[in-house]
Amino acid sequence: MASTLTRTTTRLSPLLAALVLAGCASVAPDGLRSAVGEHTEGRLPSQATLADPSPTARAQAQQQIAAWLQQPVDADNAVRIALLNSPALEAQMAALGMQDAQRVQALTLPNPTLTLGRFVNGHEREIERQLSFGLVSLITLPWRARWQGWQMEQATLTAAQQVLLHAADTRRAWLRAVAAQQSLQTAQTMHEAAAAGGELARRMARVGNFSKLEQAQELRVQQEAAAHLARTRLNAALEREQLARLMGLWGPQAGFALPAALPPLPQAEALRGGEDAEATALRERLDLRALRRDLDTTAERHGFARVGAIFGDIGASYSRNTATERGTRHDDVTRGWELDIPLPIFDWGGAASGAARANLQRSAAQLRDTALRARSEARSHWQRYRTAYDLAQQQRSEVLPLAQFMQDEAVYRYNGMFISTWQLLAQARATAQAVATATEAQRDFWLAEVDLQLALTSTSPGATPTLATSAAPATTEQGH
Amino acid sequence: MQRRTFFTGAAAAVAATSVSRVAMAALPEPISQASADTAAPLLPPNGRPYHPVVTLNGWTTPWRMNAGVKEFHLVAEPVVREVAPGFFVNMWGYNGQSPGPTIEVVEGDRVRIFVTNRLPENTTIHWHGQRLPNGMDGVGGLNQPHIPPGKTYVYEFQARRPGTFMYHPHSDEMVQMAMGMMGLWITHPKGKHPLIADVQRDYAFLLSAYDVEPGAMTPRVNEMTDFNIWTFNSRAFPAITPLVARQNDRVRIRVGNLSMTNHPIHIHGHEFEVTGTDGGPTPKGSRWPEVTADVAVGQMRQVELIADEPGDWAFHCHKSHHTMGAMGHDVPTMIGIDHSGLVGKIQKIVPDYMLMGERGMGDMGAMQMPLPENTFPMMAGKGPFGAIEMGGMFTSFKVRQNLGAHDYRDPGWYQPPKGTTAYEWQGAPLASQAPRQTAPGKAPGAPSVRKPHTDAADHAHH
Repeated sequence: MASTLTRTTTRLSPLLAALVLAGCASVAPDGLRSAVGEHTEGRLPSQATLADPSPTARAQAQQQIAAWLQQPVDADNAVRIALLNSPALEAQMAALGMQDAQRVQALTLPNPTLTLGRFVNGHEREIERQLSFGLVSLITLPWRARWQGWQMEQATLTAAQQVLLHAADTRRAWLRAVAAQQSLQTAQTMHEAAAAGGELARRMARVGNFSKLEQAQELRVQQEAAAHLARTRLNAALEREQLARLMGLWGPQAGFALPAALPPLPQAEALRGGEDAEATALRERLDLRALRRDLDTTAERHGFARVGAIFGDIGASYSRNTATERGTRHDDVTRGWELDIPLPIFDWGGAASGAARANLQRSAAQLRDTALRARSEARSHWQRYRTAYDLAQQQRSEVLPLAQFMQDEAVYRYNGMFISTWQLLAQARATAQAVATATEAQRDFWLAEVDLQLALTSTSPGATPTLATSAAPATTEQGH
Repeated sequence: MQRRTFFTGAAAAVAATSVSRVAMAALPEPISQASADTAAPLLPPNGRPYHPVVTLNGWTTPWRMNAGVKEFHLVAEPVVREVAPGFFVNMWGYNGQSPGPTIEVVEGDRVRIFVTNRLPENTTIHWHGQRLPNGMDGVGGLNQPHIPPGKTYVYEFQARRPGTFMYHPHSDEMVQMAMGMMGLWITHPKGKHPLIADVQRDYAFLLSAYDVEPGAMTPRVNEMTDFNIWTFNSRAFPAITPLVARQNDRVRIRVGNLSMTNHPIHIHGHEFEVTGTDGGPTPKGSRWPEVTADVAVGQMRQVELIADEPGDWAFHCHKSHHTMGAMGHDVPTMIGIDHSGLVGKIQKIVPDYMLMGERGMGDMGAMQMPLPENTFPMMAGKGPFGAIEMGGMFTSFKVRQNLGAHDYRDPGWYQPPKGTTAYEWQGAPLASQAPRQTAPGKAPGAPSVRKPHTDAADHAHH
């Protein structure tokens, strides 16, 4: 008896395994946030976590955000807040959860069919009981579970890239907002100086030392400075708004403070070298990993494609029919099983196989294409990063000292009555503009750094922007 | 106060060592001057005797007698001239300085001048005012070939008439004179001359102007009118040596003008007569007393006076901008501008901003503020009563009793006898404002000029 049972169990083990597997396929309770977190590990600021939609977690997160907003928001905190608070990101994570649920549903075995029939004729009554189910879905369950797992991993990798892109967007927005705020301060100083010059010119004209034309020339400088200030102010507001949007802040929380200045440039020794850029990108990038998984799945499916097409509808059923002779009341029980096997007469699975082959080729080509792009992006973003550093460094160590020197010399020339107050102010505006240009160069370096990090360790940062500063060439006004 | 040593000239004159002695074997040793101080008068060691001149912030070159000919050696070369204390200018000059050394000879002397060109381009020397053979007049291309760099040419002629003369290049003259190439030539009379008086003091200098951008060192040679450095012998006040005289000395002052504008040279406390020009001594009947003599471009004036009024008397060009150091000529007038509430605002963007010119520019004489390197203040120089508020073509004429006949040292500030200095009124102030006499017509601020009519009808009844 025992031996029979054992034998039966052994014979049934694939089936049991499938059943177990099917039972195990359940929806991830945290909506795969921790799975995404594994991929973003080391690519985000420490302790940056994704929003947990549960009410207690949400309340905790809000408290944490409120605490972070107490002081000026630095770049890392901006990213942390964005990850916790951005509805856009939450929507993406919810979509991932939905995908997971669909996966689980796909792995759940179709319920067996119980067919009951009662047939009566003159001398007998027949009762049919048939339990049937699709055999293929049961047999292929282990493989399908594996593929679905890979697909989920791929979806998780894609979601992780979205998280990293959102973090990068936030970091970029933070850099732009801080730089714009710095430029605004410069523009304010320049405007105040121009206004003082304009007022002085007005007083000059009033006592007869300036003609109306000379006064108008200084007034024009004042008006230009005012227009520049307005544009700079708008720009600062827009950049700040963009940051607030990415951080998911509104209302009183949108009144957060930012640091007064961008982080200083790193030392040249601390810069990232460009030699291993391509290798790093190929090793680390999540988009490549996702495509590799895709290729794995496609490759394995390719092998099953023909078989699946031919034998996709194998069904098994077990029947127990009872026929009862009316007169004798004699029961005649028939047991047995049936297999439905489609005959490959018309469809030999050639089309399915061809589609699978093409799909495999597509996946392989996509992987190669993305690898090619990853290599190229690693190189070009490293070059941009390095050049941005050199430019910012030049601004800091050469252009600004030169501007300061010219400013000092202008003061000396003013002291010696070689130039007028207005020429001195024009030089001072040029100096302030040089400071703004240097700030832009510093910002561009940090933006390039964000893109490089993405390109090397995460995903494609998108088109490589060229380095350009919006600063107008600063010229010193000469005489009247 | 700057060092003014009169008698170090001979010691400071050093032989140039950079010229090959072989090449120069037959030439007189060129004597070079390293100091911009006024050298002592050079008493003639040989030849005909004369009363030597004192060249303001300059010197007289020694000579060599060679078979009865006075031989001089001028080396045209780049020099660095200290125009004011701490203000150095790249110039071209002769024998270490600009202007070059004064050449002093006596009427009738035979003179041979060796001219070595150490400039990067051709040069010549024109002997301004001399009677000489045409081929010795020094106009390159016209009278002689230009002297190429590295070559030595010889000029030889007789100093035929006494007077005050100059020398300067006549080869790329515009550049070379803008760079400071010039010098004085004095021909003393042989014996007694009816129109030339004996004097106890005989001063000489040239007027020149440069345009040096504050902070730069080389004059802009293309400038034609907008000069900012106005000099006596390439020195600017307060670096110009004072003219010193013993009371009742007869003093002769010789002034030549190689700038591009005229200079009314003016003396305080005395009147003088113009006793000579580059044409020679003026006839006595043509002389009249005055206190300002205009020295036009390319002219020389020789004036004489009796220094009978003790004191420190101003002596300067009367063009007021010419008694200023470097200044901007486009700076608007700031007088009377109310700066209240503005200085602080401007200091926000220019922290070192100081208010200037609100009451005029006199404050500049007293202010000590950092200037561009290698320049000097618009007005500097302190007197016993404060800032003199002058710079450029300005110095003083110092007349003292009991001075040695050959004492040219700066005697210090004059001590006026008690009660002879202007003083503050200590009596009662004026009780009421006198009625101001105003011109009839427009109120201040009203437009005073009518726009011209262009209406055709308007023209009809003309």
